[in-house]
Amino acid sequence: MPVVKVLTEGIGEADLRDIKVYRDRGGYKQLKRAFTEMKPADVQALCDKSGLRGRGGAGFPTGKKWSFLPPEIRPRYLVCNCDEAEPGTFKDRMLLEETPHQVIEGILLGAYAIESHHAFIYIRGEFKRGYEIFMEALAQARKAGFVGKNLFGSGFDLELTVHRGAGAYICGEETALLNSLEGKRGEPRLKPPFPAVQGLYSKPTVVNNVESLAYLIPILERGPEWFSSVGTERSKGYKVVSISGHVQKPGNYEIPLGTPVRELLEIAGGLRPGRKLMAIQPGGGSSACIFEEQLDLAYDYESLQKAGTMLGSGAMVVMDDTTDFVRAAFNLVRFFAHESCGQCTPCREGGHWLERVLHRFLENRGLKSDIDMLARVSHEITGINLCPLGDSIEPFLASVLKRFPEQFEARVARETVRA
Amino acid sequence: MSEQPLVTVTIDGTQVQVPKGTWLVEAAKQIQREIPVYCYHRKMGPAGLCRICLVEIEGMPKLQIACNTAVTDGMVVHTQSDKASDGRRAVLELYLVNHPLDCPICDKGGECDLQDYAMAYGQGYSRSVDPKVSKPKAVDLGPTIVLDEERCVVCQRCVRFDDMIVGERELVLKDRGVRNIIATANGEPYRHNYTGNVTELCPVGALTSKTYRFKSRPWDLRRTETTCTQCPVGCQMHVDVRVGVVQRTMSVENDDAISDGWLCDRGRYNVGFYDAPERITQPMYKRDGGWVQIGWDDALDLWATAIREACAVNPASVGVVGGGRLTNEETFVLQHLFRAKGVANLDWRAGRQRQASPGRNAGSLVDLESCSAILLVGESPAERAPVMDLRIRKAALQKGAKVVRIASAERAYPAPIPSTDVATVAEAIKTVPKEAKRIAIVWDGCDGELATSLLERLPADAEILTYISGEQPNARGAEAMGMLPFGKPGYVKVESGLGAAEMFAAASDGKLAVLSIFGANPALYRADFAPASFTVVSDLFMSETAQLADLVLPAKGPFEKTGTTTNMTGDVLPVNAAHSLETPADALSDLEMIVALAEKLGVELPGAEEVDAAVIRHLAKPPEDFTLGDARFGFEAREKKKRGKETSFEVVVQTRIFAGGGTSAHDARIAELCPLPAAAISPEDAAEIGVSTGDYVDLVPLDRGADGALLGVLRQAQDDNPNHNVGRDLLVEVREGMPRGVVALIGGLPDSPANLFDGANVSVTNIRQTAEDPAETVGAPA
Repeated sequence: MPVVKVLTEGIGEADLRDIKVYRDRGGYKQLKRAFTEMKPADVQALCDKSGLRGRGGAGFPTGKKWSFLPPEIRPRYLVCNCDEAEPGTFKDRMLLEETPHQVIEGILLGAYAIESHHAFIYIRGEFKRGYEIFMEALAQARKAGFVGKNLFGSGFDLELTVHRGAGAYICGEETALLNSLEGKRGEPRLKPPFPAVQGLYSKPTVVNNVESLAYLIPILERGPEWFSSVGTERSKGYKVVSISGHVQKPGNYEIPLGTPVRELLEIAGGLRPGRKLMAIQPGGGSSACIFEEQLDLAYDYESLQKAGTMLGSGAMVVMDDTTDFVRAAFNLVRFFAHESCGQCTPCREGGHWLERVLHRFLENRGLKSDIDMLARVSHEITGINLCPLGDSIEPFLASVLKRFPEQFEARVARETVRA
Repeated sequence: MSEQPLVTVTIDGTQVQVPKGTWLVEAAKQIQREIPVYCYHRKMGPAGLCRICLVEIEGMPKLQIACNTAVTDGMVVHTQSDKASDGRRAVLELYLVNHPLDCPICDKGGECDLQDYAMAYGQGYSRSVDPKVSKPKAVDLGPTIVLDEERCVVCQRCVRFDDMIVGERELVLKDRGVRNIIATANGEPYRHNYTGNVTELCPVGALTSKTYRFKSRPWDLRRTETTCTQCPVGCQMHVDVRVGVVQRTMSVENDDAISDGWLCDRGRYNVGFYDAPERITQPMYKRDGGWVQIGWDDALDLWATAIREACAVNPASVGVVGGGRLTNEETFVLQHLFRAKGVANLDWRAGRQRQASPGRNAGSLVDLESCSAILLVGESPAERAPVMDLRIRKAALQKGAKVVRIASAERAYPAPIPSTDVATVAEAIKTVPKEAKRIAIVWDGCDGELATSLLERLPADAEILTYISGEQPNARGAEAMGMLPFGKPGYVKVESGLGAAEMFAAASDGKLAVLSIFGANPALYRADFAPASFTVVSDLFMSETAQLADLVLPAKGPFEKTGTTTNMTGDVLPVNAAHSLETPADALSDLEMIVALAEKLGVELPGAEEVDAAVIRHLAKPPEDFTLGDARFGFEAREKKKRGKETSFEVVVQTRIFAGGGTSAHDARIAELCPLPAAAISPEDAAEIGVSTGDYVDLVPLDRGADGALLGVLRQAQDDNPNHNVGRDLLVEVREGMPRGVVALIGGLPDSPANLFDGANVSVTNIRQTAEDPAETVGAPA
């Protein structure tokens, strides 16, 4: 313990991309069982009972999300969000490339559960290899009769459409994703209405993450109690965590939620010899840092939230004492400014402003007043945006400004030169 | 729409009751609380982009945007609390980080929402010390609009307007993040009939009109509220004058009943003709084939003498044409004077339109929005009554109305507006949803038979609303005021005199002694026009008709006189002379001319109060006994033409807003907007005769009747005036969805007497491919 093999089972051992191998290991059995022995409502109930929360970043309970669909309006759509682009996150990519059939089976189960006859997967544009692998797997699944008309003789038709993104981070936000999928400019929609009421093509739509959908398979197989028996009170089950940065064995590790951060660090091989831990970003580029004294925090949704950060998509970025935090902050702020769709003002203008100021710091041309200004402006642009992207700029910047002010002060220009 | 229950919301300590679901920003307006907005617009709803409308709502941890917050009962809102003010201040600072702050040279300065809000809610300084992002400052979006990218706050009002209101989707947002810019789809010129509205929607100085750029500061303008008289919709507008010249016109925001807050580009931009150098400034008399300037007294004497002498012999040899461009008062006095002299030959119908008053079933413009089916008969309302067409688009885009066009040769509506084209009335009836409760017919007032048969065959249990989108702004007023051969004021039946067409025929036969024409240019449109022995024309310019007259009188334009006009739906609207507008010293309004003429003729006219009372009395009485295509209006059944030879086409003349001759031909500011003479045919016909879009062709008229009258007229026109290039060098447009056997020409273009081909049969000849440079013979009229 605590590394477990659920979704990651078989990866690196067998060629799970081959439908035969996947089926020999029990693949598509749960799909058949659902279609032949269960009603959609049964699948929904199991998911609800398992306590599964969305693994894409927001951590919203999956069963609850499904329950928002208005019962009378058809058609409904299920969209699998495979636009994984959060800095530090690479778990969906692995699932897509290594075990594509598990992704397909998860999508089909989710679609069946919400009685959707048309599911979509939105694959990040840069995942060219993953896309090719997925298309190959989809062709195999289609040939095997798992996608299309009258699946398993149940009379239930289910189509799966694959759509590739074009390289915008913002399209991972579910309403921007829907716009992009519809062929529109990829920018988040004003809510309400929420996608569950008016989503893809104005029809009720559920957008679920790859990992969330994939967990439906073991939940069906082993029962919701098996899933909910691990984890904490409100963070149930397992999670694939992408650990990267200054560790000796970066990679994806599947763990029960609630595992202490210290243990995760050990799983990833710990720091390089002689190095000192400075900060950890526990939930991707959008999350605030935790520090050495917080290593006993449990890695679950609530504990991290209570500590002022978040679990997010489960991307742990570890930074040791070789880190230039000014450069790290610039790097992330530049990323968010670059990826801002620009439709709403605080994110568009604020991100770019902060990026320019941090760039000046890199050139040792910071102003003393800038340090306070960076903290204030990043705070002012938070919480007033249309979507969460603008709110993602502050957390990391604010936490390192507070923790390592000397790194910023060191880059203040000796003589104050008006830029 | 069902009535929403009222809820009570407290805004800054003041309680207000509003219907449930009202946006907070609207609720605040009711108690005169300003919540600043950029992206939100009353007609388009919330967009949630600008984030300036932040308010604090009790019980919510974060600031909320007032535009997308529907009020709930008991909601307590603070717009001026520290938290709300600080949020607003922060957002305003962000707006100015990259804003060029070039207010001193910005057209918007003085009426700019960014300037005003920054003053009211901003902090007065910026913490940003870095260089601003620089962007192009004069991007030409099309013939009307220039974009300053640096000033743009990316509120997307313009983009949403093009999408939600017009349905053309020509403006788009390009790139992302801080490099976001407004652009046109595929870089095509921004060009539809409503582009000017984006300059008003733009809260800053980013989108500016080419006609107004760098022309004035808002505080130097003298503003007058009046009615636009470019078409029969009658939009309310502000006329802004500086140094005696009309600088611009603006919509009237609360004009919901008529314009819905919009203006079309003709109404907005065709206002530069008042100071055109070619304007007539003196009465002109034709002597020995040449024009001489004379004084008003001589002119009135000539006119009065001619009328007096002709009336003494036979009042039936005197005629009056016009009135559709005059005010109600002018028309009333005009017909009063001539009827007093025993003249019965009075007609406003100088063009193709036969009827302007829809009579019973007349609907209001607002009613169009609640129709479940809208049937368009005849010419496109987008070109004849553009702002009414926005209502049709609204009904289709926002309320799901079915738009059906009958026997239309017009370009299709843009894709977002679902419309169906059918060939016959029978097919149109089939497309009307069975459950339709309210059906509108929008007719151009030309083909009476078509309108009547449609009206008769619609489901009996549905409510039918009828509309006539006509050629002349006050045609309906002219009808009501008695400028009809068969009706005195109030449509009171009289023994019928001659209609316009009959007058022209009489003139052609030498039987008309005096013809007075007011604000009409029949020679441009009608092959049958002929001047009388003595023809008097009142106009602003030497029109095609004026050139054929004996006496031409310098008239005042609509912004130079005061009175009332009647729009297509019967609303009586004020026409006000614009403050400080310079008028040629010797120009008179038609009213002043008529009064002076009456004096010379010794006819006592009713006093001003009496005229006002008469106008109100006759307009108050709706003509309930008419229907569309009423026989009294004297519709001639159009002969159904069969295609004879393969290359024989029937000509359909179509209106384009900037091709209507008259004032648009004399406005240098909008010369670029005037369309080229073009001929549209169906793809099938094009394939058959081997032409494609961009080619040039000539049209040769085939004999219209047994006597070949039309051909004769056209040949004569060609011989008389070598510049009258009859049917030559027309630019081909291959138009999807057009019926076969029809060629559509643009009517009203000066020097392109394609106007005269209306209803004629022509053959298409002398096809030249685009490669052969036709530049020498084709070009936009100057």
